[in-house]
Amino acid sequence: MNFLVTLINGLSLGGVYALIALGYTMVYGIAKMLNFAHGDIIMVGGYTVLVALGTSGKPIFTVIACVAAIVVCCILGVTIEKVAYKPLRGASPLAVLITAIGVSYFLEGLAQIFFGTNAKFVKIAEMGILHIGGLSIGWDTVITLLVSAAIMAALTLFVKMTKTGRAMVAVSEDKAAASLMGVNVNAIITVTFAIGSILAAVASIFYLMRYPTLNNTMGAMPGIKAFTAAVIGGIGSIPGAMIGGIVLGIIECVFNSTPLAPYTVAIEFAILIVLLLVRPNGILGKKRREKV
Amino acid sequence: MKTKTKFLSFVLCAVLVVTSCFAFASCGKKDETFKIGVSGPLTGGAATYGIAVKNGAALAVKEINAKGGLFGKYQLQLFTYDDQHNATLVSTGYYDMVQKGMQASLGCVTSAPCAEFADLSAEDNMFFITPSASNDEIPKNTNGYQLCFSVGIQGKGAAAYVEEAYSGKTIGLLYCSGDNYSEGIKDQFKENLKTVTVVEASFNDGDTDFSSQVNALKDCEFVFMPIYYTPASQFMTEAKKTANNFKVFYGCDGFDGIETGVEGFDINSVPQKVSYLSHFNAKATEGKAKTFIDAYKAEYNEEPIQFGAAAYDCVYAIVAAIESKGEENFKINMSASDVCDLLTSVFNSETFTYSGATGSNMKWNKAANNGYGYVDKSATEYVVKEAN
Amino acid sequence: MSLKKNAFVKYYLIYVIFAAIIVFFVALGGVLPRSFLSNSLQMAIAILLSLSLSFVVGFLGELSLGHAGFMCAGAYLGGKVASILAAGALGNGILTFIISVLVGGIVAAVLGVVVGLPALRLKGDYLAIVTLAFCEIVRVLFLNSPKEAFGGAFGLETPKYGSSGISLQMMLILALLLVVSAIAVFRNIIRSKHGRAVTAIRDNEIAARATGVDVTKYKLFAFVVSSFFAGIAGVVYSYTQSRVQSSTFDYNYSIDILVMVVLGGMGSMNGSIISAAIITFLNLKLSTVLTGNLAVAKDLVYALILILIVIFSNAPSLRSFREKYNFRAIIERLRKKEMDPADIKNDAGSWDRIPTKIEMNEVLSTDFKVQESTMNPDKEAK
Repeated sequence: MNFLVTLINGLSLGGVYALIALGYTMVYGIAKMLNFAHGDIIMVGGYTVLVALGTSGKPIFTVIACVAAIVVCCILGVTIEKVAYKPLRGASPLAVLITAIGVSYFLEGLAQIFFGTNAKFVKIAEMGILHIGGLSIGWDTVITLLVSAAIMAALTLFVKMTKTGRAMVAVSEDKAAASLMGVNVNAIITVTFAIGSILAAVASIFYLMRYPTLNNTMGAMPGIKAFTAAVIGGIGSIPGAMIGGIVLGIIECVFNSTPLAPYTVAIEFAILIVLLLVRPNGILGKKRREKV
Repeated sequence: MKTKTKFLSFVLCAVLVVTSCFAFASCGKKDETFKIGVSGPLTGGAATYGIAVKNGAALAVKEINAKGGLFGKYQLQLFTYDDQHNATLVSTGYYDMVQKGMQASLGCVTSAPCAEFADLSAEDNMFFITPSASNDEIPKNTNGYQLCFSVGIQGKGAAAYVEEAYSGKTIGLLYCSGDNYSEGIKDQFKENLKTVTVVEASFNDGDTDFSSQVNALKDCEFVFMPIYYTPASQFMTEAKKTANNFKVFYGCDGFDGIETGVEGFDINSVPQKVSYLSHFNAKATEGKAKTFIDAYKAEYNEEPIQFGAAAYDCVYAIVAAIESKGEENFKINMSASDVCDLLTSVFNSETFTYSGATGSNMKWNKAANNGYGYVDKSATEYVVKEAN
Repeated sequence: MSLKKNAFVKYYLIYVIFAAIIVFFVALGGVLPRSFLSNSLQMAIAILLSLSLSFVVGFLGELSLGHAGFMCAGAYLGGKVASILAAGALGNGILTFIISVLVGGIVAAVLGVVVGLPALRLKGDYLAIVTLAFCEIVRVLFLNSPKEAFGGAFGLETPKYGSSGISLQMMLILALLLVVSAIAVFRNIIRSKHGRAVTAIRDNEIAARATGVDVTKYKLFAFVVSSFFAGIAGVVYSYTQSRVQSSTFDYNYSIDILVMVVLGGMGSMNGSIISAAIITFLNLKLSTVLTGNLAVAKDLVYALILILIVIFSNAPSLRSFREKYNFRAIIERLRKKEMDPADIKNDAGSWDRIPTKIEMNEVLSTDFKVQESTMNPDKEAK
């Protein structure tokens, strides 16, 4: 019984991780860059919701706030890509990584100037609780899981079925060859960032619905955790991100309810290392043969 | 080596030489102000506390200066340094403030950096009284004092309270693992319990998910939470979502700010009784606390938290101590070490007491505390709200 | 002509500079302000760290985000040994320091083997996340360690400069000597066949393996040497603090070290040294200049500088601009002198900056006009 409660809590946390990891894996899979600023885009989404919600409690403002978060994050993501990452196309991946870290610091610093470092409480929507035979599970958890699954399915279909999606796969395989085939590589990467940032906005909405406390570094740790989830699932794999997120959430909740709680972070990372040693490409990752 | 590298190293050397010259140049400057320094996190995750201390101290300095200053003729000057809650940066900040002429200090805002500060200042015999660094080890040297309760005092106080109210029962304990404030109180608390059984749950700094902890503690009526108010608000929010027996949430001075610190969080929506052990009453309607609260609101347009109140008191306590010795024993350009001798002689004396926003008749008796500069004042249970 | 003499000067100049710095501190350490000495000490630690990370990132070509973990282990274990020895017969002297430096270095080196093992199987970002994970594990373990062993949450109390035994001036001189020895070790390794093997792995692992380089051995070797010096930096750090607190060594610290290495130019020891010194100095200066209400601007300024420098020094579209306006080109223009290509080939200091697949080297290497295609035939090979 107690274990079931823990499991449900894990699912709930895992759903949020999965949602963030989907955005991470999307950008990583196509643009092949570790977007350290992804967590901070979530943070910006959170502050947008906060500002757009204002003090009014009307439901219509909730909708406006969600739309605003998506629009702001999308514009921000594309701007970051154009200003900070695009000039470095073709440069070392390490240079892009450092720029991403710089962007991350920049966004956190900016949020600190505008909103301070005090935590803010964001009330998006009061969700009820679903009771199933003595177990209670929050509706926000159910909805988060459903949304993650829907996004996972939609992304998979998008990548497999649409022209843009297939172009994305082509770009991720080989930029030069894709551009020879008539794919506009820059445009595709911009679209990828737009989608990734929209996913970040969606993640920020559901994150805040579940954990309504917001501050300027709120994106950092979930970002790292979500990246871990994406790696566990096999980075670049869309269903993998979902699985990785849920696995990580359950691990975290299981260990948090044991006396080993202080070591939870260490255990999560240790599992990651062991898993990567056994399956260097994650649970669902594809093995690529290296050619000379 | 490349010319560029040579050039860069030349630039580096030049910069070093120029700054060292500046450093020398600034040594000779003298002016007629009494200089107080404080180091605290003005940016980063713990900035709330550092900014509150900076504001509280600045308010006290402003008020004192408006009245003419120390002995009615010497203006005070406040230095602040942003240590980002990082002990590595403390020496840089400390040496910098010493160079600028700091004569007495409020130490650091948080415990980890303050341990470093205590060490550095002991070598120079630089007086400090910290408004908020509560670790037991902070005031171990002759030059160090605390105005806040040490974690030992808080843990013992909380244990005494729990033993009285819940004798023989089981209570919950939620702490932040790896945080020296939280773990320090937890250890002292558990050591001083006799009949009460404890169910423990812990979280890590920066955790957002408290469902496991709520689940672990859900059968307890009383939960003792020696943690800061932000995670406390997260725990309380999470607790609302599931069935549980919680009736009372009880905290230490880290709870201060739970009403106003998290913008948008409505403490009255929490069904349980919320209270904490504190030295500052944010709802005070009389006395020095009230004066402070009004002045703080007028100056900064926000509700003060105890960190600000304690810093305000620290500045006033230093001034009161110096003035109690009389003008004949004080010179404005006294060295920090002489100021420290003067201040410690006052603080250690039986007769010196200070009353301010965070308590009346505060005393510091190093002899009775094995040489530790703990504060002796009364703590009150501050009830934030009763159960709904 | 003076070619040989020139190369000799170039090779030994860095030692001469450091010798001069050490002499400067020996002579003037007593009268210099403490803030200057303590800032210099922080810079020396940063140089040790960036030098050692530069070996893994710049020469082995593996991305490590866990360098602070090695430093953490070194600081804790070295600090522990130092505090035991200082309480014993040896006292808090130079001998205690030397022993604890060795212990800290060796402990970190052993951990280097542990981290090096996954590096044999993993590449790129996967290795990056594993090293980051490792760093966090070390940090969490020390954070929750028993109070009696490593001080727990409040950190381990370690001997510190000043109070007794080693003075701040002495500490700084010792740290600088360690920096010089690190420079000597790394330079000699890089110029030896071992160093060439390591750079061969970076340039093309499969080709290196095909030509008989023992990839396993050299990857481990690089991790071990690098973490040894990170551990040493940790011990020196522990001497600058009254308490070693593991919360200092989070992944952000590793990232800060990585930033120094990258801005210094990949595969350039001298670049790492200079950028570590400048960045640390800037950070410390910014923290004392931007205080009070300006403190919030610090992060923003640092972030902007970081982004602009990386884009400026790496953007492919700015290559021609860089070639025209780097320090060397400007100085050459001032001298109105053409470089003789023969000079470059015989320049003992330049070979480690030969353009390779990691194209970050433009920071220091675009300035000589060697056709890239001739130097780097495998550039387009996958």
